[in-house]
Amino acid sequence: MSSGLILKKNSVFGALLLLLALFFPYIAPYTALASEILIFALFSMAYDLVLGYAGMLSFGHAAFFGLGAYATGIVLIRVYPSVPLGLLAGVVTSSIAALITGFLSIRRRGIYSTMVTLAFAQMFYFIAFKWTGLTGGDDGLQGVPRPALGPLHITSEKVLYYFILFFVLVSLLLATRVVNSPFGKAIQAIKENRTRAMSIGYNPERYKLGMFIISGFFSGLAGGLYALLLNFVPLSSLYWTTSGEVVVMTIVGGMGSLFGPMIGSMLIILLRDIISNFTQSWSFLMGLLFMGSVVGFRGGIIGVLRERLKLGD
Amino acid sequence: MSAQFIIMQLFNGLVLGCIYVFLSLGLSIIFGMLGIINFAHGAFYMLGAYTAYTIGSYISPNFWLAFIFAPFLMGIFGAACEVFLFRPLYRLPPLYIMLFTFGLMMVLQDAVRMIFGSMGVPYSTPDSFIGSVNLGFMQYPKYRFFLIIVTCLFSIAVWLFLSKTKLGATIRASTDNSVMVDALGINISRIVTIVFGLGIGLAGLAGVLAAPIQNVTHLMGMDYLIDCFVVVVIGGMGSIAGSIIGGLIVGEIIALGILVWPPIAHALIYFFMAIFLLIRPRGLFGREAFHE
Repeated sequence: MSSGLILKKNSVFGALLLLLALFFPYIAPYTALASEILIFALFSMAYDLVLGYAGMLSFGHAAFFGLGAYATGIVLIRVYPSVPLGLLAGVVTSSIAALITGFLSIRRRGIYSTMVTLAFAQMFYFIAFKWTGLTGGDDGLQGVPRPALGPLHITSEKVLYYFILFFVLVSLLLATRVVNSPFGKAIQAIKENRTRAMSIGYNPERYKLGMFIISGFFSGLAGGLYALLLNFVPLSSLYWTTSGEVVVMTIVGGMGSLFGPMIGSMLIILLRDIISNFTQSWSFLMGLLFMGSVVGFRGGIIGVLRERLKLGD
Repeated sequence: MSAQFIIMQLFNGLVLGCIYVFLSLGLSIIFGMLGIINFAHGAFYMLGAYTAYTIGSYISPNFWLAFIFAPFLMGIFGAACEVFLFRPLYRLPPLYIMLFTFGLMMVLQDAVRMIFGSMGVPYSTPDSFIGSVNLGFMQYPKYRFFLIIVTCLFSIAVWLFLSKTKLGATIRASTDNSVMVDALGINISRIVTIVFGLGIGLAGLAGVLAAPIQNVTHLMGMDYLIDCFVVVVIGGMGSIAGSIIGGLIVGEIIALGILVWPPIAHALIYFFMAIFLLIRPRGLFGREAFHE
């Protein structure tokens, strides 16, 4: 098949997804669910930068998501009710946390670095759990407002959806730029062959840390938007199962493609919503799904799509 | 703050550390063998406690029966999981096997929730261990004292098994280089099954021992699992001594943290781990280039 045709198919596929995103609130069971899907799509896209492109298995991304959510919420409640200021606080906090966590975890390799990320996320979780004066502890951070942005009243669920969609699309564009930039190419080279990349003068630690911070930045943005969506920040946003979920969404969707993890998170959140309508044991069924997806389709959904539709990368 | 209170708290740290020792031992030997983090390990620990509860309430209330059979049954269950669930996956990258264990954890926890309910089950201190022992300088609950002794005995037993027996030597050789052991004509898949069964059995034992001093719920393993990751990072992955000493250190840090400022107690172990990583990146007993 000619590369021109593949490119065409890819853009048709992308356009279809964009169209779906634009009309999603009218198709999804309810608008808040559509917004939640968008937020987790952003989160897993951010995660894919680390897992799929830099080849680092982080099990602590809940920290960046949760800290972004808490920072945004705390600024909106206590400092000044301004959405841009809140989101800014969220991404800055998460990026700093990613800098610290990344710096220490990259010092160790393989499974060890995974454990460091996990341990840091747990540290933030316990701090948020115990510092009830600031975070509300076990009850979560209650009463995050949605102040109007000039003419934009994001108190309406539909308006908020398009507000989130704007951020997700901009983030996707930026992430695509990052991945295709010389920086992104270098980090993929490091992932493929670390020794060779080093011998031509790249410093793997510095590149990995850079990607980790970028990923933390987008995770924090997703967290901040999540605080706006829920009007509160659940403590579980910092718990390690949130990290686990984003790993699963990314792998089920197909890592290393940015799009794949977004589709994966859509599928998983939709399924969870549908299943929990019928039975309490969605966690049982999701667990089975994860186990099955390891056995069944390891390229992820995007892998299946590529094979069936002959899509390019 | 009296000296007696501090010593009491040191003992409590030791008891907590004992639970960590058993859990991390299993986590660490499975990791050493397969190079995967078993996220279902906390769920196996929880299953051990529920197995003890089931034996206690339906078969015989005799604690010793649960104490002997629950870890044994868990070991068999673990070995069966290895043979039927994990064996077909070994050709995959470790990442996928870890995802698999994550799914397994959800399945096991939710299955227990469906059977026993989400409120947990009551588990009281066995009759023969009610009361306290006089240690000369203070009174200490009998059961907790028993737990410390059991941990000492089992740690020695596991160490003797791995360092003095032929099977133990084979296991150690397999963690170092499984291809070479396979080439020497040893049935490596049988060794993997034994190691898995042993690891899960130890998790089950931890569950049985923790049941009388913990809330037995389907989520009881969630926090413990992550604490054990700290233990193995501090102790060094795949090291028996590392698991034992690391477990006791983490237990004591939490106990002493409670003395100083309770809210920070649990976050303290992560601070400690971070410092540890800076000064000794492979932990106390970690070897260079081991599954890195």
